[in-house]
Amino acid sequence: MTESQVLIEVREVGKVYGNGVVGLRGVSLQVKRGEVVCIIGPSGSGKSTLLRTLNALEPISAGEIRVLGESVHDPRTDLNRLRARLGMVFQSFNLFPHRTVLDNLMLAPRVVSGVKPERARERALALLAKVGLADKADMHPGQLSGGQQQRVAIARALAMQPEIMLFDEPTSALDPEKVGEVLDVMKVLASEGMTMCVVTHEMGFARAVAHRVVFMEAGEIVYEDAPERFFTAPANERLRAFLGQVLKSA
Amino acid sequence: MRSNPLAGRAGAWLIYLVVLGGIIGGLYVATQRIDYSWNWQRIPQYLISNEGQERVAPFDGFVAVAEDGHSLTLKEMKGSRSITIRDFDELLVGDGDLVFENDPLARKRGLVAGPLLVGLWMTLKISALSLMAALVLGLLIGLGRVSRNSAVSGLAATYVEVIRGTPLLVQIFIFYFFVGTVMELSAFTAGVAALAVFTAAYVAEIIRAGIEAVPRGQMEAARSLGLSLPQAMRHVILPQAFKRTLPPLAGQFINLIKDSSLVSVMALTDLTKAGREVVSSTFSPFEVWFTVAGMYLLLTGLLSYLVRRLEKRLAHD
Repeated sequence: MTESQVLIEVREVGKVYGNGVVGLRGVSLQVKRGEVVCIIGPSGSGKSTLLRTLNALEPISAGEIRVLGESVHDPRTDLNRLRARLGMVFQSFNLFPHRTVLDNLMLAPRVVSGVKPERARERALALLAKVGLADKADMHPGQLSGGQQQRVAIARALAMQPEIMLFDEPTSALDPEKVGEVLDVMKVLASEGMTMCVVTHEMGFARAVAHRVVFMEAGEIVYEDAPERFFTAPANERLRAFLGQVLKSA
Repeated sequence: MRSNPLAGRAGAWLIYLVVLGGIIGGLYVATQRIDYSWNWQRIPQYLISNEGQERVAPFDGFVAVAEDGHSLTLKEMKGSRSITIRDFDELLVGDGDLVFENDPLARKRGLVAGPLLVGLWMTLKISALSLMAALVLGLLIGLGRVSRNSAVSGLAATYVEVIRGTPLLVQIFIFYFFVGTVMELSAFTAGVAALAVFTAAYVAEIIRAGIEAVPRGQMEAARSLGLSLPQAMRHVILPQAFKRTLPPLAGQFINLIKDSSLVSVMALTDLTKAGREVVSSTFSPFEVWFTVAGMYLLLTGLLSYLVRRLEKRLAHD
């Protein structure tokens, strides 16, 4: 069953925006079950775009993406069912402000999967406990700090029991002192064997948690390697320049 | 700041009262100059009258009054129908009389709603029904406006342009004389339909703006969880859009109540039409129109009060 091993298969994917700007150029990437892959690169390099093509929030212009054995951009694919198996966490949290924290977690399981309310509630409370926010169940998102909101967003994605989690710069909108609490939750997930794709600027996290780190620039994957070599002795000039800049400013 | 006595809260109220009093006084002086005699005492009977309720003949026929005078039977002249009336206080016909359809037969004493109140009720009915229809239609057209299908969004945009680009009075005429005739609608149905179609165009624009004001990330988050487009709309986007659209929607519905006065051009006795009829029988146009305006104000004021309460409740969630 090699199919079950490779969960994400990106083949020669290109994306051109309506105004002619090239977003992605011949990108290929594989993610295996249980792998944590971090994608780094300067802003505008296409890393968020790539992540968003994985669950078809962003259409592609060329190539193919297979996730969990299904062709993501094939119109015949049942996208809603596929997306339910793919959790996504956004830079700006995107919690539903008109619903309580608990309702945020219960909505998709009830509406999409038809889980019974008591069961959904039980599971939601367990997940809130897992991200350390069991006491915030009845609050509204607006009453929480950024770090707490992002932890709720992670719990909300987990409530669908996804097989893969996608993180789109999950800590970029946070105050520096709140970054750690979100990364800690992600570390726990990784240690439990969750398959994760993480677009991030947190080099320390990538180095400690990732199995593989991917460097993107100008819509292309320029280099990928295991974190030790990636950060200490990368065999790529542009990555060395990028790391030099990032580490200097840090 | 303290030195200016008009700067405080009390000062503001004082200015308010002085200006308002000035306007009312001005009106009074103006009517004095044209030698108008105010007859406010004529108005209450058109709101509530103690003339009682008349029973009229539903068909042509002969009257038979019982011995004791407490019951009356009408036998149809050219048919076999007959009715018996017992619930009355005063007999208006005699035994053996021939009466024709709509002739008064008897009167029951007591307080009944006068023409202005009956008109107010009609206005309320027309407004409430067209409000509900406009909400449903406007929601559909508003959703059509934000549809990615350009045929749907084009049709919705055309609807809005056509309706907003023509006067309501003309639309009412079209509904009454054309649509009403073709589809055999009653004046009431045609009036409600015209108002609903007109208001729906504005409701659609309000709902479109409300939907577009919800951040794009909300739709992305909902879809990324596996919700279909209709599910995301229903559970995530529309509840948030609704909160934003409540104030402009309330304004639109207050307009609807006021616009409903235009259906008085059809054979519909709404508050405005009732006002016209009362004027022609009292010759007191000033009193009647001020009364009618006050009754409209009562309706619209009540509606904005209810909406404010709803807004407050939603704000707490």
